[in-house]
Amino acid sequence: MLDKDQSYELIDFILDEAGDYQARVMITSRAEGLTRYANSEIHQNVFEDATSITITVTEEKKRSRVSTTVYDRDSLKEAVADAVQNLQFIPPGEKQPPAVDEPEEISADHYNPQLADKFGVDRRAEMLAECFDTLQQQQKASGKLTYQESNLAFGNSEGIKRFARGNQVNFSALVEVLGEGGGTGYAADTSTRPEDVNVLQTFGRAQKKAEMNRDREELEPGAYTVILEPLAVSNLLTYMAFTGFSAKSVQNQMSFLTGKQGEQVFDSRVNLVDDHTNENTVSLPFDFEGYPRQVVTLVEDGVVKNFIYDAMSAHKDGVQSTGHSVDMPQRGGMPLHMIMAGGQHSTGEIIANTDEGLLVTRFHYMNAINPRQSVLTGLTRDGVFKIEDGEITGAVKNMRFTESMLEAFCNVEAISSERERTPGFFGNYYVPALKIADFHFTGKTDA
Amino acid sequence: MKEKLSKVLDYLQDRGVDYADIRIHDISEEHISTENGMAQDLSTSRSRGYGIRVFIDGALGFAASQEFENMVKTADKALQIARATKKAQREPVRLAKKDAVVDHYETPVQIDPFEVSRQEKLDLLFAAEDEMRKNAELFRTKGTMDFRREDKVFADTDGSYINQTLYESGGGIQAFAAGKDGMQTRSFPNSFRGNFATAGYEFVKDLQLVENAARIGEEAAQLLTAQECPSGKFDLVIDGSQLALQIHESVGHPIEMDRVLGHEAGYAGESFLNPDMVGFAYGSEHVNIVADATVPGGLGTFGYDDEGVPAQKVEIITEGEFRNFLTSRDTAPVVGQESNGTARADGWGRIPIVRMTNINLLPGDKDFDELIAGIENGLYLHTNKSWSIDDRRLNFQFACEVAYEIKEGKLTGKIYKDPIYTGITPEFWNACDGVATEEHWQMFGTPNCGKGEPSQVAHVGHGAAPARFRNVKVGVKDVR
Repeated sequence: MLDKDQSYELIDFILDEAGDYQARVMITSRAEGLTRYANSEIHQNVFEDATSITITVTEEKKRSRVSTTVYDRDSLKEAVADAVQNLQFIPPGEKQPPAVDEPEEISADHYNPQLADKFGVDRRAEMLAECFDTLQQQQKASGKLTYQESNLAFGNSEGIKRFARGNQVNFSALVEVLGEGGGTGYAADTSTRPEDVNVLQTFGRAQKKAEMNRDREELEPGAYTVILEPLAVSNLLTYMAFTGFSAKSVQNQMSFLTGKQGEQVFDSRVNLVDDHTNENTVSLPFDFEGYPRQVVTLVEDGVVKNFIYDAMSAHKDGVQSTGHSVDMPQRGGMPLHMIMAGGQHSTGEIIANTDEGLLVTRFHYMNAINPRQSVLTGLTRDGVFKIEDGEITGAVKNMRFTESMLEAFCNVEAISSERERTPGFFGNYYVPALKIADFHFTGKTDA
Repeated sequence: MKEKLSKVLDYLQDRGVDYADIRIHDISEEHISTENGMAQDLSTSRSRGYGIRVFIDGALGFAASQEFENMVKTADKALQIARATKKAQREPVRLAKKDAVVDHYETPVQIDPFEVSRQEKLDLLFAAEDEMRKNAELFRTKGTMDFRREDKVFADTDGSYINQTLYESGGGIQAFAAGKDGMQTRSFPNSFRGNFATAGYEFVKDLQLVENAARIGEEAAQLLTAQECPSGKFDLVIDGSQLALQIHESVGHPIEMDRVLGHEAGYAGESFLNPDMVGFAYGSEHVNIVADATVPGGLGTFGYDDEGVPAQKVEIITEGEFRNFLTSRDTAPVVGQESNGTARADGWGRIPIVRMTNINLLPGDKDFDELIAGIENGLYLHTNKSWSIDDRRLNFQFACEVAYEIKEGKLTGKIYKDPIYTGITPEFWNACDGVATEEHWQMFGTPNCGKGEPSQVAHVGHGAAPARFRNVKVGVKDVR
């Protein structure tokens, strides 16, 4: 991995090579140890140390980009020359936005040495062995325990410098009860703080859920009241973020929020903010274009308030970038740290107040059928439970949903007070459980 | 390099490994995209590094780095990881036997795509964009091209030393029409960046992007005012490009032996198949599917997999009967076989896992018109728009860009927007009652197959011709 000084030295070299051209450099250094297990044993155990450098060179209406993992001086010279050469034959396009020019430096060190001590490769194996020891004879387990360190550095021709250092742990457990009527349970956690991640406890949650998920009843497709646990809520938000919360998606008329800014679109209890400063997210204080990451209120009391921007989409709307570039110009940025406000009642109380409904653990293999209407599809996985007269009365076989999120988030009936850290496409979210009426299941499975 | 790798492998053998291999990948990519007549993105990338995989007493350790001067340090890391694996491993991994091979393989190309000027590539996309807008009012047009060259070296403690150079080329166009009620898209020759092959620039020239652009633009505009596709049970003809993804999701993934054995249970899921299901009635007698890593141009075509096993052609489904799984060296022994050469990694930083090669539905004996003629009231579905399938690969749902109405054995010329069809894998393949002839058969490249943790993206291929399926559920609006 490249540290701050090494990264800044390379950035200065590249910017020197770019000469009079406007240039920016992003260096991503990441070391990840991933211990993966299946059939209650470690089957894949890997480590990767990778550094990638992305060089973007712009002229007034032109931009070209080169990325490389080969960063000896000669190779970097070639990379810069390639980027500059491309500008010569790219026809003028859209006017490029101005480069970020303040503040001069952002430097953030969120590295936690205790996390590194607690989740080294030997300790990961030992923790998993302890988990496997708790399995009953008819149970088997799969999942992963990952420890990751990352350094991100940025610089541009305006003399701007950025650096962020951090580490995090991700754990997931899927426990299956074997034999007739058996099912699966799932639990996961992610954090930058060692005290947050209790591997044995999370593993136990998956075990408990698997034991509950026995002798599943088959239900017919139709509209049901659902209580979506935080993982399932996170699954929906991930696709909503991918298709709808960026200004670029609105500009392209692909977003389900096209023409709806300022309107009441969701239930008035829905509040959603992208907040990298929240202690339950993995903070990244700047984006891939060097812009300081802003805290952006996306939805307030059900009203669509703001969209997130990268530099180009902001330039087009005549506003400042909100610092949400993920270096995918076609996406125009992504909210990486979505925080949904909690409600007044615990999940247990919400279940107790439900006459008839289904408790859903999470969704699998989702996709957007119609981004403009935010119609998503996917399947339930690792636990759907029937609620009758305020109590969980049994397990239900997995079903396929096909639903517009514009309707689902209007039909919110309750929001849990507890929230969980959940994974997103990048980064992680912090979200509650949601009770939603008239959620449409359109297909069933025999599992 | 051979000598350097040999020294590291000797070093590992001296430390008691059962087996070790080293892979070096040097990948160069070029991506060009245009949008609304302007260059949207012109980017190149290079990724070079190596991965060292070791087994000690049947326990796996893998470490990857781009620091070539630190190979021994990386080897030590792999050893440390393998020793850690042993702390929570019940059964040692057994690797299927293979021959030691010293060889070189290179994708045959007529025109090296990296020798073609970027100007020429941009001009072709701009010309296609102009054509799309020629007769249609469009909100947005897009064009993309992608090129890839991968130089790989594989060396192992069995004595193999294999060099491969793989080329890929691909491209496509998209037309977007927007109105107050929404947005409609048509893509050519396929959605999600077009079509791809292991080939040179000649493949992109042969795509005929410009020649097909006006039609695509017009269809996108027509879709905007088209009726929504009805819901119900219909007889369908599904075009080759959509069928390619259907094969991918409902045949390619379930036959991966690592999924069958539960290796992917924690993430992508397992399979409805188990090792005892060879002989299972997967489909009707019209369904003949092979895994063929040798077919010229297939995106999943190569010389050797990333365990040094030669590319092979394997029967998967013959006249509807399931015959073989896709296997790697660590999964094949479970069914008493040797690997059929499908273990691939998406770069130097990942371990090889079971991946599709080219999973091809073989051509049938029906002319396209004959397929249509056999339908009283049905739909011809074209070009994928979205996909989803459960974790055992049974319950699928696909959306397509367009449905063409079929009445009394003829295409009426009427089109519907937003068609969706859904089903259960074996029921669907058993409902196939005809596949079009070789004349209509085509290879499609899928460059975005995700699997594994850490995530890996494989480039795979699917050959298909339009095929007919009876009584398939279309739409979801009738479920309220």
